[in-house]
Amino acid sequence: MRVVRWIVIVLGLLFAALPLVWMGLSSIKHRSDTISQHLRWIPAAEAPTEPESPAFEATLESYRDLQTVHAGAQHSFWHHLWNSVIIGVLSTIASVVLGTLCAYGFSRFRVPGEKDWLFFILSTRFMPPLAVVVPVLIMYRALDLQGSHLGLALLYTVFNLSLAVWLMKGFLDEIPRAYEEAAVVDGYSRFGAFVRVVLPEARTGIAVTAVFCLISAWNEYGFAMTLNSSGAVTVPPYFAGLQGNIEGMPWPQIAAGALIFVTPIVVFTILVRSHLLRGVTFGTVKQ
Amino acid sequence: MKRSPLCLSLSLLVASSLALLCACSKDPAPASSGGATSPQSITLWWFQWAPADGLQELGREFQKETGIEVVVEQIPLGSYQEKVFLEFGAARTRFDIVIGDSQWIGRGATKKLYLELTDWLPTVVDLKTIHPRAAKYLCEYPEGSGKWFAAPCETDAVGVAYRKDWFEDPAEKAAFQQRFGRPLAVPQTWEEFKDVAQFFQRPDAKRYGCSLPSDRSYDGLTMGVQNLLWAFGGRWHAETSNKVKGELDTPGSVAAIEFYKQLVKLGPKGAERLDYGQVLESFTNGSTAMILNYFAFFPGIHAQFGDKVGFAVVPAHQGKRVASLGGQGLSISSHIPPAQQELSKKFIAWFLQRRVQEQWITKPAGFTANADILKSPEFRAKAPYNGPFAESVDSMQDFWNVPVFNELLAVTQRYVGMAVDGEMPTEEALRKLADEKERILKEAGLL
Amino acid sequence: MGTTATVTRHRGGSAIAWSLVGPTLLLLIAFNVFPLLYNVALSFTNRELVGDESRWVGTANYTRVFSDPLFAAALRRTALFVLCAVGAELLLGFALALALVRDFRLKRTVLAIVLVPMMLSPAVMGLYWALILNGNYGVLNQVLGEIGLPQPQWLTDRDLKFWSIVVIDVWMWTPFMALIALAGLSAIPSHLYEAAEIDRASRWRVFARITLPMTAPLLGLAVLLRATDALKQFDLVMATAGPNDAATQTLSTLMYQVVFRDGKIGLGSAFACVVLVVVIALATVFTRYLDHLRRARET
Repeated sequence: MRVVRWIVIVLGLLFAALPLVWMGLSSIKHRSDTISQHLRWIPAAEAPTEPESPAFEATLESYRDLQTVHAGAQHSFWHHLWNSVIIGVLSTIASVVLGTLCAYGFSRFRVPGEKDWLFFILSTRFMPPLAVVVPVLIMYRALDLQGSHLGLALLYTVFNLSLAVWLMKGFLDEIPRAYEEAAVVDGYSRFGAFVRVVLPEARTGIAVTAVFCLISAWNEYGFAMTLNSSGAVTVPPYFAGLQGNIEGMPWPQIAAGALIFVTPIVVFTILVRSHLLRGVTFGTVKQ
Repeated sequence: MKRSPLCLSLSLLVASSLALLCACSKDPAPASSGGATSPQSITLWWFQWAPADGLQELGREFQKETGIEVVVEQIPLGSYQEKVFLEFGAARTRFDIVIGDSQWIGRGATKKLYLELTDWLPTVVDLKTIHPRAAKYLCEYPEGSGKWFAAPCETDAVGVAYRKDWFEDPAEKAAFQQRFGRPLAVPQTWEEFKDVAQFFQRPDAKRYGCSLPSDRSYDGLTMGVQNLLWAFGGRWHAETSNKVKGELDTPGSVAAIEFYKQLVKLGPKGAERLDYGQVLESFTNGSTAMILNYFAFFPGIHAQFGDKVGFAVVPAHQGKRVASLGGQGLSISSHIPPAQQELSKKFIAWFLQRRVQEQWITKPAGFTANADILKSPEFRAKAPYNGPFAESVDSMQDFWNVPVFNELLAVTQRYVGMAVDGEMPTEEALRKLADEKERILKEAGLL
Repeated sequence: MGTTATVTRHRGGSAIAWSLVGPTLLLLIAFNVFPLLYNVALSFTNRELVGDESRWVGTANYTRVFSDPLFAAALRRTALFVLCAVGAELLLGFALALALVRDFRLKRTVLAIVLVPMMLSPAVMGLYWALILNGNYGVLNQVLGEIGLPQPQWLTDRDLKFWSIVVIDVWMWTPFMALIALAGLSAIPSHLYEAAEIDRASRWRVFARITLPMTAPLLGLAVLLRATDALKQFDLVMATAGPNDAATQTLSTLMYQVVFRDGKIGLGSAFACVVLVVVIALATVFTRYLDHLRRARET
């Protein structure tokens, strides 16, 4: 039984990690090695003389090539990464702020129809993007938001609100009300108590919520590809757009870019690892 | 509460957002609005590939001469079509000129998205200098009507690239001679093409005969198959009308697809679904003897392989040779202010001049529609692919370019795909395809 | 906490309450309810992506949806996808959770690594998987070739292609199932197992009588969450096959093809409305289930 257990663990580890390891290896290859007929998996200082050798010449060329700007526009990988960062951070801040306020409202005040509202908020998470994309598109055309950072940030904010509200409500419900009451007795206004007492107590919750909002905005593809033509193209549609690239896929650059793109997410995942469960279940399950 | 790494990440987030907000306020206007902010600037849209870089370089020349800035925005190919037509839904497109695929012209013309150039174009260029095939398929709608909605930008056709070093290897030559009773040479007919492919098909040695476009997601398979379809006497629709039944479901078309089915088996494993990039990759990784692909890729191949490769026109069948047309024309958006339209016209007029076209063909993968240049011996001598290219232009044909081309293309991909995959007998697939096409055309009022 | 919360709630702050929850609710209505209604209206017209002319066409679009073999095929394929992908994720995730439930050194690190795939971008990773699975120069086939196994054409064989996408989805989402299953397993009171040991219950009996029933509610939650997500499968198919490949077309990619390639907004909206009915049904089950779970925990 012990053996089986370890086999499962090792297989799970390999299955999860190998694609990422391979991505790292691909990113330090020359393009010809990524599409070679022969398995190339041992990085070496020099190109091997044997054509069938498993070694390949390691190079950081692909990382340098990430800054290649196609003539005419700022279309290097970094430009798209920057778009992802702006949109991700703006929408994360907005959804955390709105979500925290809303959750605080539901947590501490009587709101008529509270339960219905909360389930309405949750249900928006299940909306298939393609069911709303056309009206949103028509709306964005009218408001001239198509292809702007603001447009996508707004959309992701809305998209993440359900998560933010539900997660934050869970965290806020855990903070004893006595703290605020004590603060009010000490002479703080209700708002003062919220800022000075509740928010600091909820900082873990806020951080976890922020990380989850950031990740979902960071990874989003459907809206990013349909609502943006060239103004604020984020990394996922940029990479996906290379599919069927008529000059062949620049695999090492894709691997390098993808690695840079997923690194912050991996770091954040490790940082919030003890709260992952809460995050993926909308705060309904706690460890 | 203990100081967890979370607090750290939270403070990092806040810090970075503050930095961002500062940066954002100074963020320069995105390049896409270039056309709107400066009256002396035009924005062109094309997809991401080498010729677009070349066009941008020419644009700088134009700016030097006229002071009008040219910005070529390169949109990833995967979603180029969708993006362009989404733009046309807006009151003002963010491009002034779109370098649109040949197939779009029906949609552009009938929906009044492209500015009609019929009266203006002859005032700046002698239309006779534009190769008639390029004019017919890249610029006019309906085909051959004399109504112009685009000026040729990149003229392209399908051709063959082959491993000259393999073809000239004495051992290979002897072996081929022995097996087929004739010398190993660049195939002139599809039958010869198949023999050569069969000859080089050695999967155990990781060498393959040929690879052809066969991708199903957009137009790959169709663009590959039609080279044979026309050569074998088949056609998509009647010569003078959009009638499909009795035209497409004919023995010639069936024979062509059956032949294609055999050819895709003479390639690397999985050659039933290769997009243009994958066809190219199968050649540039040194494993494949011959590929069928657009000429626009050939300069890159030549740069990589030098003398080891050769280029040729597509093979013929019983003397009939037709190359699948590629390439794009320059169309002016009707959804921009008249002043921008004037600037755009200025650029097109400048671009079509012979001296500029001569520069254009020196750019990476820049191919011209200028008939005089195509005819000139200097052009043919300049690069090994130029001669076959000029020859291909004379025989090129295109798929549908009516407004509903996309639905026609989708059903073509589907049914021809089923035939090539052996999922449906070819006759039946073509019969059903003809039915579907007539339905689509009837719905669109074209039949 | 439920009851004390109500008692100590601020009273009479209804204006403040609304100003706190109002902005969120307004945004959600503006971006969900309004588009939804608009979408329903569009589905009765022949509106196109370009051009403004559109006409009321009654239920023609719906007639077309229900008679379209592509829609039926996409519906079947999507259902198969949900069934197989979520099923495999559940099984593998549960197995992984069983293996990880006991403490060992480095458990937290192992857990963090195993969980990474579900946090990554499907569009980017799907594209990258296309390199791994490439029939000729993909690493998977090269390794298979080295050890003398057959090398299937993962992404070009029409029968395999769909399953390759399922595999990528399983790679991404097995961690999710494992995470939730692990939570369920860890919450089983150890005295139950001790009691079973005293009764000398067989290993299988312990699993069937204790482990499974105790984790089932959470697994149900996970399955519902994943099913609603898998039903929307778009990114992976786009990254590995494009929207129009008959072998892999799902509801979302078919809708994309109709709306953005063919430019038929009216028809696409009708597609969306039909799909939405299915999604709403599933979402209702989900929220009901969630409510049930919470109530069960509170009592």
